[in-house]
Amino acid sequence: MKTPACRAWAGVFLAFTLLAGFGAAAEEDMISILNPRGTPPPIRLVPMAPRLDTLDGKTIYVVNIGFGDTFLPEVRNVLAEKYPKADWVFKRKAGSYFDDDPKLWAEIKEKGNAMIMGVGH
Amino acid sequence: MGVPTAPVVTQRFLELVKTISYKKGMPKQRFTFVPHPVAGRPPEVCNQFVRSKDPVTGKAIVEELVAALTAPLTAEEKKTGFMLRPPQPRLLEPDTPTNRARLFEKNGWTDGIPVILPTEARVAEMLKGTSHEPNEIVGTMRPSPPHEAWEFTVEMVAANAVMAGAKPEYLPVILALASTGVTSLFSSTTSFARMAVANGPIIEQINMSGGLGALGPFSPANATIGRAWTLVSKNLGGGGTLGETYLGSQGSNLNYNNLCFAEKEDRLPSGWKPFHVQKGYKPGESVISTFTGWSIIHSGGFTTQHKEIIKRSMMPFASGRAQVTLLLDPIVAHDLKDYQEFGTKEQLSEWLMKNAGTPALQYWGSHREELQKAKAGVEPYASWLKYPEGSYVPVSSFKPETPIEIIVVGGETNPFFLVGDFRHVSSASVDKWR
Amino acid sequence: MTAEEKKTGFLARAPRSRLLEPGTPTNVARLFNDSGWTDGIPVILPTEARVAEMMKGTSHAPEETVGTMRPSPPHEAWEYTVEMVAANAVMAGAKPEHFPVILALASTGVTSLFSSTTSFARMVVVNGPIREQIKMNSGIGAMGPFNEANAAIGRAWTLISKNLGGGGTPGETYLGSQGNNLNYNNICFAEREELLPVGWKPFHVQKGYKAGESVVSTFTGWSMVNYGGFALPHHQFINRMLSAFFYSGTGSGSQATLLLDPITAQDIRNDEGFDTKERLSEWLMKNAMTPASLYWARRGGALKKAQEGVAPFASWLKYPEGSFLPVSNFRSEVPIEIIVVGGETNAFLMAGDFRYVSGASVDKWR
Repeated sequence: MKTPACRAWAGVFLAFTLLAGFGAAAEEDMISILNPRGTPPPIRLVPMAPRLDTLDGKTIYVVNIGFGDTFLPEVRNVLAEKYPKADWVFKRKAGSYFDDDPKLWAEIKEKGNAMIMGVGH
Repeated sequence: MGVPTAPVVTQRFLELVKTISYKKGMPKQRFTFVPHPVAGRPPEVCNQFVRSKDPVTGKAIVEELVAALTAPLTAEEKKTGFMLRPPQPRLLEPDTPTNRARLFEKNGWTDGIPVILPTEARVAEMLKGTSHEPNEIVGTMRPSPPHEAWEFTVEMVAANAVMAGAKPEYLPVILALASTGVTSLFSSTTSFARMAVANGPIIEQINMSGGLGALGPFSPANATIGRAWTLVSKNLGGGGTLGETYLGSQGSNLNYNNLCFAEKEDRLPSGWKPFHVQKGYKPGESVISTFTGWSIIHSGGFTTQHKEIIKRSMMPFASGRAQVTLLLDPIVAHDLKDYQEFGTKEQLSEWLMKNAGTPALQYWGSHREELQKAKAGVEPYASWLKYPEGSYVPVSSFKPETPIEIIVVGGETNPFFLVGDFRHVSSASVDKWR
Repeated sequence: MTAEEKKTGFLARAPRSRLLEPGTPTNVARLFNDSGWTDGIPVILPTEARVAEMMKGTSHAPEETVGTMRPSPPHEAWEYTVEMVAANAVMAGAKPEHFPVILALASTGVTSLFSSTTSFARMVVVNGPIREQIKMNSGIGAMGPFNEANAAIGRAWTLISKNLGGGGTPGETYLGSQGNNLNYNNICFAEREELLPVGWKPFHVQKGYKAGESVVSTFTGWSMVNYGGFALPHHQFINRMLSAFFYSGTGSGSQATLLLDPITAQDIRNDEGFDTKERLSEWLMKNAMTPASLYWARRGGALKKAQEGVAPFASWLKYPEGSFLPVSNFRSEVPIEIIVVGGETNAFLMAGDFRYVSGASVDKWR
């Protein structure tokens, strides 16, 4: 990889190249370069689900998708204390942050009226 | 799914959730923010957090959550249809090299080191490295599953290969790597690393290093192919923007090069197959394989009895994650074959998978039934429970779906090896992209 | 013996010319690449104009000697000047404002490519006001390929070690059998001083510098492991992991450096009661255990006592395979070092078999 002659020069030298005046931007030529970025897909707008007119008599799931173990139970507890006419159900999503849990989503769709979900930790 | 939802988010992820809900088509999602972090905080502290104010909006958290579920939807929140992204021109507007270099740096399109600017002439030269059309789609890539996937062409990969300083003859390897769709900058708060291993005749053809110092900064092919993966992951895989599409809290120093090297196939012990052959490719095919993990430890010792040292060196990774890849110096591989009678990589892998124990703490935490038996005096559990603190129980922490992978690499100056919590993700043919 | 074999006196080396022979940028770039003067990635060619621009980053004269460096003790040391360091800083892609940090690093004389068959790694940590002044990253992704200052300074160290420290020729002045992937950047980052828990000193202050001074610190080791877990209090978890880390491994098994995310550090301070870095370090040094296999391999005397039935050794010998013994692996001369870095997205930490080598003032090289 390295020739003995190069090695004998010991160290790095200033390369005096033919790029005269490269340091001065004013003397640089204009260049045209390719855009290095890829193509983000179009975004399909998703309408948000209709809201509830009242919490009274409704079942609301508080779902932990990997948010520590202590915070969301307290969200449920405080809401249940302040809004006792609603039914507040705490659930832990199966698997890690990246795993889906279709069973739980089906249960919420069937039995729930709304959901609070935690992101972060 | 039609159920009104109020997302509650720790403050640290503000940029992340706003970006994701925008890209998922709900730009007006009603977020409630809470202090960060909440994990590991006692219930009393969390209870106080819930009763406090949202640190972003200043509103009371409870009322904000209720309003998110009950306040009627605005016209904007009900919108449907498609939102187009700003079109990406093929060429940037002409400017001086200095200004263009500054733009790349400012926009985070580099790895922090200056890049070779992808002029039309340089990209055309790079494209000589493949027979494929510039407009051909290579694949799609995303920073992690919740994020959108971006699509890219041969020419776009060539532009990033130029930036990394690669030569045209490296392009088929970089295209194959890009075609896997595996990002090198996986977005998770845990700072993942990646590894890329080349096999087959391409190793010789482009002078990749699998010998002395193969993992260090010496070989132009190893250095620029590994670097190109990170540039592709940023610019074509839509990743690497801190706080939005990259969340690794501390970052991984391995992402500069992504552990890119070649297997030392010509020094495999007889009977040990090259990695790509283990995965079903022919020996004469050229293949690039990707791995995911976090850390890699240098280990070794002057002995011919390596299996016990390897088994012990895997211990830091035996807990929970239970995925390991070994990079053995040829000396170690030959000793294992000659002195410990491992006739194949698979035999060594199986022996290690069977004999590596599980840390007791981890074992009892995930085996409640056995813990009950142990407490009731049932053997062998009862005696395992008497083991001193920090012990390992003699139960394998490895599952057959994530076999221990073994690769031979090194220059035979020392009987060393590397052990990391990596697993094989995918392999792709390099020949297909020639 | 031939006449040549009996020769004494000095063998003259080819003189070093300041400038290379003129050539096209393409040809000069090829020369750099083919001669092994790079890290495998293209460099910015050090033209006179670019080096002059880099020199604006320091008040020191171009011909001033910065220091000497060698690949490892059996090798010769090479001496170098400010201008030679500037040429390598240009090559790495550094900016003039990064230059005092690179000079300070070069002044330590520590090579990043230590020649041993065991593939060493190095780490460089920056403290003080320079971090802000040159916008180093100490937050999210601090150790990853995202920040110009972190990337260029770390890279410059490797180019200096090759070209000015006479190292990095595989087989001659670099013998690491497998090589170390950390040598591309040499784990170059800044400490997150702003988020240190109350009472925890910045690293350079721990080493005797003033808080307002800017300092670069070098470390040596081999491997860095990424950990996180909520199952145990952090200090107990770290203790367990430190013991396991040295189950086998490279060095003495008695040196460690921890890179704590600010969340982890705050937890350790507020919930676990360690009000200084030093107290955490001392607790870990005292309580870290030693893998039984390592202990018996190293302590022939203790093994003999154990076999003769002397307590507590005899009972340790009955521990099951893979156990740890309640004996610290650490010696007080090599303290466990602690640095806070990260973006608070997760309570993670890194632990490595690194130890502190030396520090140097950046201000001296402004």
